[in-house]
Amino acid sequence: MEALSGLSLAVVLAALGLWVMVSRRNLVWKLLGLGVASGGSILFLVALSHRPGVRPPILGLGPGPAADPLPQALVLTAIVIRFATLALALALVILLTEHRHTQDARRLEEEE
Amino acid sequence: MAAVLLCVLALALAVFALTRRRLLWGVIGVGAHSLVLAGLYLVLAAPDVALTEAAVGFGLVTFVYLLALRRTGKLVVAASPLYPLLYPEGEGIAGLEWEILTRFARWYHRDLELIWVPRAEIPRLLRSGEAHLGAGGFLPTPEDRLAYTKPLLPTRLVLVRLGEGPRGAVAGEPTGKHADPSGKLFEDAAELAHALARGEVGEAVTDLLRLREWTMQDLFSEAETQILPEEYGFALAVTPQDEELHRSLTEFLAELEKSGELTELLRRYLG
Amino acid sequence: MKFLLVCGLAGLLGLLGAGLVGIWPRPEFPDPDPVAKAWGVANAVAAVVLGVRLWDTIFEVLVYVVAMVGVRFFLLGMRWQGELPPVAETPLLRRSADLLLGPILVFALYLAASGHLGPGGGFPAGAILGSALLLLALAKGVERLSAELYEPRLERLEYVAVVFLLFLGAVVLVLGVRTAAAFVVANLLVAVEVAIGAWAVLHRFASARGEV
Repeated sequence: MEALSGLSLAVVLAALGLWVMVSRRNLVWKLLGLGVASGGSILFLVALSHRPGVRPPILGLGPGPAADPLPQALVLTAIVIRFATLALALALVILLTEHRHTQDARRLEEEE
Repeated sequence: MAAVLLCVLALALAVFALTRRRLLWGVIGVGAHSLVLAGLYLVLAAPDVALTEAAVGFGLVTFVYLLALRRTGKLVVAASPLYPLLYPEGEGIAGLEWEILTRFARWYHRDLELIWVPRAEIPRLLRSGEAHLGAGGFLPTPEDRLAYTKPLLPTRLVLVRLGEGPRGAVAGEPTGKHADPSGKLFEDAAELAHALARGEVGEAVTDLLRLREWTMQDLFSEAETQILPEEYGFALAVTPQDEELHRSLTEFLAELEKSGELTELLRRYLG
Repeated sequence: MKFLLVCGLAGLLGLLGAGLVGIWPRPEFPDPDPVAKAWGVANAVAAVVLGVRLWDTIFEVLVYVVAMVGVRFFLLGMRWQGELPPVAETPLLRRSADLLLGPILVFALYLAASGHLGPGGGFPAGAILGSALLLLALAKGVERLSAELYEPRLERLEYVAVVFLLFLGAVVLVLGVRTAAAFVVANLLVAVEVAIGAWAVLHRFASARGEV
């Protein structure tokens, strides 16, 4: 049940983020959409590591099978890297706004 | 069960955040969304991921967004003063349009900078992109080739006759075309009023709001006024180089009107 | 274009539903406990992050460092020219920042040092250290704090931490050393790395754009 709802939410979040990235023209909104979409993919991996009745993959946390640690480990670094790339993207947006005085993606393309 | 509830909450927050127009709401909504996601990871037996998501997604990401949003450039307003729309008051600036503009700047995450210029200068500044917005009792004319918002306040042109002499008007305003060939054009309305009071011009073309200002200052008591038939409206002018700004301002004004705040502001400043 | 997008998403959802209904059996996981025991730790996630897949982690940290260098490079020419804004008089915020800062720092250190025994580890600890600086910045004003606390030496410390992490990786993977002590050191290094990177980014953004 948990895994099912997590997986479906992950797909919906990825779709929502992609839709925002396509439909909005402001670069910061596109970045927000990208953040939600990547949150969806992270949730997908975490939900894949879950089975009914599992415990966290830590020794001595009760009986029962443990969740798969591999997707969780992959996701752990991905979250931090997401922050780093977001900061880089925002720095580029600030630079663009300073030089071109707009955050509108279509206008930026037209002015090339 | 907790997982389903958290999923619904996370989805609702994401939809709320991504359907806003104002970026600040989007950032706050996405921050709350990722906090709920952290709770969901905890339920999905991934406490390491939950901790990292809560610390990074909710803390650092939101903060970086807020810092980046803070100043993304200045919004330059070119304006000529008109009581009670936009006028210097002591050290600062006050007026109906100033109130609207400061609210809009907060909404749009920009700083406001105001430069006082003669009315005839505003279209040139906006077309060249040196200023972004034109304000201060701005009456749109087709020859300016600018973008305008919906009129904030309807008005009419008035012919004020005080005695014999040439007809005066303010350069750049639609009132200018009512000046006869022998008439004089002035830089701003205050000069026109003084010229009228001193008798340099016999009559002047102006608008209802300026006439009200002049009457309140009691510049000339026994003037004969004639209201001209064309209908005009005070609006805000937007530089034609920035469509996004125009669309945002239009939307902001529509929001202001829908919430009834515009009516409230109009009543406060115009009585 | 939109039609294709919708079709692709519908297909993905269909596949997902088919998988969940149980037409195909979902594979069983291997038991993670032996992996954790083999590396001498209790947290299997830490055993994967800093043991089995240590190279992945080291290169992700390198990606992080490169991104931070990029932020520094792009915001280099932009310095806030105006005066420092006055500090807002918010005694509540400042008192609570004074009270909370110590516990938060201790908690972050605890998370980093005990990452091999329970949930935690270098990444969340570094992020929490960064958030502690954030709290201080909110109380004192970002501009002021970054002017007072910013040191180029901190950034050099970040690179030193990366070098040590690479060295540690070589020791663990090439020589095959499997001790919990290596995990503690690696977690602390990652925490230092992430925290300094986050602080440098916040400082650059603040000094380029003005106060919060």
